[in-house]
Amino acid sequence: MLNINNLHAELEEDSEVKILKGFSLTINPGEVHAIMGPNGSGKSTLSYVLSGRDGYAVTEGGATLEGVDLLEMEPEERAASGLFLAFQYPVEIPGVGNMTFLRTAVNAQRKARGEAELSAGEFLKVVRAKANELQIDADMLKRPVNVGFSGGEKKRNEILQMAMLEPKMCILDETDSGLDVDAMKLVSDGVNALRDAGRSFLVITHYQRLLNHIKPDFVHIMSDGRIIKSGGPELALEVEENGYTDLLAEAAA
Amino acid sequence: MVALDETQLRDGVDRETVETVQSMAGTYKHGWETEIEMEFAPKGLNEDIVRLISKKNNEPEWLLEWRLDAYRRWLTMESPDWAMLKIPEIDYQEQYYYAKPKSMEEKPKSLDDVDPKLLETYAKLGIPLKEQMVLAGVEGADEPRKVAVDAVFDSVSLGTTFKKELAAAGVIFCSISEAVQDHPELVKKYLGSVVPQNDNYFAALNSAVFSDGSFVYIPAGVRCPMELSTYFRINAENTGQFERTLIVAEKGSHVSYLEGCTAPKRDTTQLHAAVVEIVVLEDAEVKYSTVQNWFPGDENGKGGIYNFVTKRADCREARAKVMWTQVETGSAITWKYPSCILRGDDSQGEFYSIAIANNWQQADTGTKMVHLGKNTRSRIVSKGISAGHAQNTYRGLVSMHPKATSSRNYTQCDSLLIGDKCGAHTVPYIEVRNASSRVEHEATTSKVDDDQLFYCRQRGMDEEEAVALVVNGFCREVLQELPMEFAMEAQALVAISLEGSVG
Amino acid sequence: MIPRAKLVQQKRDAAVTWLDGRALPEGGVWATKARKAAEDRLRDMGMPSKRDEYWRYTDPRRLTESTVQPAVLHDTGDALPLFDRVDRVKLVFVDGVFDAEASDAPELAGAEISQLRDAARSDLHWARDIYGVLEARGQTPISRPLASLNTAFATNGVLIRVAGKAPRPLALIYRRSQDTADALMHHVIRLDAGAELTLLEDGPVAARYNQVTEIDLGEGAVLNHIRAQGRDHERVGATHLFARLGAKAQLKSFTLSANGALTRNEAVIWLDGSDGTAHIAGACVGDGAFHHDDTVFVNHAAPRCESRQVYKKVLRHGAVGVFQGKILVDQIAQLTDGYQISQSLLLNEDAQFLAKPELEIYADDVKCSHGSTSGEIDANQFFYLRARGVPEAQARMLLVLAFLAEALDEIDDHALAAELRDHLEAWLNRRT
Repeated sequence: MLNINNLHAELEEDSEVKILKGFSLTINPGEVHAIMGPNGSGKSTLSYVLSGRDGYAVTEGGATLEGVDLLEMEPEERAASGLFLAFQYPVEIPGVGNMTFLRTAVNAQRKARGEAELSAGEFLKVVRAKANELQIDADMLKRPVNVGFSGGEKKRNEILQMAMLEPKMCILDETDSGLDVDAMKLVSDGVNALRDAGRSFLVITHYQRLLNHIKPDFVHIMSDGRIIKSGGPELALEVEENGYTDLLAEAAA
Repeated sequence: MVALDETQLRDGVDRETVETVQSMAGTYKHGWETEIEMEFAPKGLNEDIVRLISKKNNEPEWLLEWRLDAYRRWLTMESPDWAMLKIPEIDYQEQYYYAKPKSMEEKPKSLDDVDPKLLETYAKLGIPLKEQMVLAGVEGADEPRKVAVDAVFDSVSLGTTFKKELAAAGVIFCSISEAVQDHPELVKKYLGSVVPQNDNYFAALNSAVFSDGSFVYIPAGVRCPMELSTYFRINAENTGQFERTLIVAEKGSHVSYLEGCTAPKRDTTQLHAAVVEIVVLEDAEVKYSTVQNWFPGDENGKGGIYNFVTKRADCREARAKVMWTQVETGSAITWKYPSCILRGDDSQGEFYSIAIANNWQQADTGTKMVHLGKNTRSRIVSKGISAGHAQNTYRGLVSMHPKATSSRNYTQCDSLLIGDKCGAHTVPYIEVRNASSRVEHEATTSKVDDDQLFYCRQRGMDEEEAVALVVNGFCREVLQELPMEFAMEAQALVAISLEGSVG
Repeated sequence: MIPRAKLVQQKRDAAVTWLDGRALPEGGVWATKARKAAEDRLRDMGMPSKRDEYWRYTDPRRLTESTVQPAVLHDTGDALPLFDRVDRVKLVFVDGVFDAEASDAPELAGAEISQLRDAARSDLHWARDIYGVLEARGQTPISRPLASLNTAFATNGVLIRVAGKAPRPLALIYRRSQDTADALMHHVIRLDAGAELTLLEDGPVAARYNQVTEIDLGEGAVLNHIRAQGRDHERVGATHLFARLGAKAQLKSFTLSANGALTRNEAVIWLDGSDGTAHIAGACVGDGAFHHDDTVFVNHAAPRCESRQVYKKVLRHGAVGVFQGKILVDQIAQLTDGYQISQSLLLNEDAQFLAKPELEIYADDVKCSHGSTSGEIDANQFFYLRARGVPEAQARMLLVLAFLAEALDEIDDHALAAELRDHLEAWLNRRT
């Protein structure tokens, strides 16, 4: 599904700041991978580089989604080919209704894939059903995108978008930040409902607690721009227990 | 109404304010006069007076010509009429343009030789001219900080403290008349390079007749070892003060400069038209703080200083930074716009201002941020308070030139009204000539919050104390930018300036 | 520097030159009196000059020069005229001249509609209490000579007096025919106590036009005013809207401008009675040789009134947007709620936004604020949309429309707001 090979990236405006330093990872269809790591290890940058945000320059290596070069594509082309990023800080867009936003995105992607656009009626039916599962009420759908939403509402809104867009490869960037226990459960349930044999997940998180709800197949520890250790779910528990210090020391040794 | 946040009012700064307010005796406290024999140039303004001033200062020919050029330009100019000020006709021939204590005829070798009466004047103002003393307000501080002072009395500088220590660091801090003698090449290079003679009516007047002021030169890479300060005192009657300050900060240098000013209470108005020029070179940083406490006129609007001042900093090279902080409580009329020319790429300008106008005071003050270089930044925080019959205007310009790409400005401009006979006005000019720059301007006008006042009074403060406290809270963002030496004085001033504004 | 006295003289000389060879239109007693007084005002003030503080950001030369530069009407292709689907009474003006043939019968229940050219011949008309009267009041604190010029010389325009609730909107439709037409139009609208009217305006008025609208709202009267200044690239125009609001009266005025070489829209609003509401908004989209100036003055002259000014400008390829707005709160106007926002979105590096948003406040128990921003499309929002699969152009469009939404939200009638929104979208699509 997603193949990242020896990825190097730095800040576009300051090439001295190198963030990804040979990051490699392969995710097969249906797998859930978690990336953990201390602050500043490059986790969020990885998600931005993969989704095509401006400001980073890839200097070496590459990334493909189902064999297609991701890095050559515009952000919207990556989205249409099935890559979805749940933002750590979902962006507020005053003046754009949540519904308008969703419908524009869904139809833009369908169009890009050569599928027919959803009619207003069909669309509404689907949104209502999915919103209901995530306890997103009609009012939230009417309001401008993320404006005045609480932290939990914003994250639920991200998952609603994920459910509507039905991507193949989902990256969840610190989706647990700013969530209380109830909101975390709601969001995780939403994610788990989307798990299937054809869809993969990359869950970026600082803490283990999210992984109690979204059970990963593999866990990777990231530090200084690359993976320093990989393992199963037990690795996350180890971090929870002992922190990152030992792992980092081990990698440095 | 949400219950008041207790911690907000209990904050340390405000508690100090209350104590300060309680401890201070009423009204303008610097209104006394020093009785001393003065030497005046004849009343009025003409080329001969300009020549006389130049001669008194023993100036080179080029400077006399420069002054005369300014004078001739001034004759062709008109007094600006765009400010929201009612300025009575000023008879420029009824002023003295030069006044000097007789005892200063022979220039004193050091401050020890200065007439004790003059030293006493400054002591009474809380300005120590003896180096072992520190400024009032910082005594008892953990580490007493040294502040070097240039004391300007009417038209002349009495002397400058800590000269030796500063010289050891390579810093030049002296009166501008001395600088003309001792460092003519620097003066010639920079004088008028930021504020040209014909910049405006009052700058032209100043260029023609300036008598003294301070000169500061910080060499490359030097962090000035202490705060520098000039203290201006207008004493003589019917005498204008026209000081000129020039600060040059070479590459990578750093200086913090304080300016204070007072004048006796008089029935007649007095003219003050100063020019401050600051040159900031690559990576240098200048912080300029003013607590302006000229006599504001009495409660019926009689007397007071007319304060027409041109202050401008030129961030000439990359990453230069300048910060203006001003607390304006004095003057019958204030016309003043400390400005930043952000010429160097990545240079920064900041302006923090509190302007208080009470009784019949009029203030039209603000700043100009002229963005010329790429990626330049500016920030404006202005707090205006109007009380009594006063009129208080914020006037500002933010200009993003076509080449100043990716620059930013943020402006916050708040006005507070106390009573329904005063006015608060906001006149910003915003000129954006490139798309990648972002400019944000916000302004609000409101009255002192009744709930806050009630809360304070319920806790036992009288109305004036309560107002002073709330106003200090309103000004906090600016007060905290002041050097410690000034912060206390400024808070007390806020309280005093508002006396009689309620009830 | 030219001395101030000399400037005043130059302006007066320019007025004399302009007036030379022009005689005031013939008319009845009231009109002649009003026109003569306006001409005197013009002589006294002189013509506007780019040296005037009030014309700091807009050069008035093309509005004041004696000849009109030819302006070819832009072919809007298949674009439908606005408000065609609205059930309305339509009055058509061609190059600023009333076209009775093309118009509906001027019949609207509860309303009295006449043409200025007819009413001006009578010796008595209700409009005499308003015509030129509000304009004259609008000359302080700032002089607006173009409006006096209009009062003195306009012969076309519509005079509307409404007594009850008008059942249908009145639409003024402007069409162009000559490339050098120079139109002067002067409308007067009076709503008696409790009356209601929706006034629509649409179309390119003339190659050059100078339009004055005087509005007098009685107690509790409600006027909804929606104006679209057509997609006409080369024309130049100046409009003045003078409105006086009685107690509890409501004025909502929205203007949409898409292109035009030069547009100066002035609005002068007096909240004379307590509890009045004035909302004035504008959205403009400009491209290339486009200079658009909104100059607004709102005077709170009575307690407990609310005013809002919402102006949004989208500018690209060298277009220039100007906003000068002022809220003046008199000492008597306690409990004023005044709000003003002016924002511009600059889509290309060479677009410009020049603003002077002012507050002048003499009452203490008030809540007044203004904000002004300028910048390009928010990079985070843009990326967020694209990360959800929305193509670049569509993402940009969505954000531009979102930016304009706050101004469009000022229109109460959702159908009309949607129509204007579609209009804007079409403009943006065509010109991307």
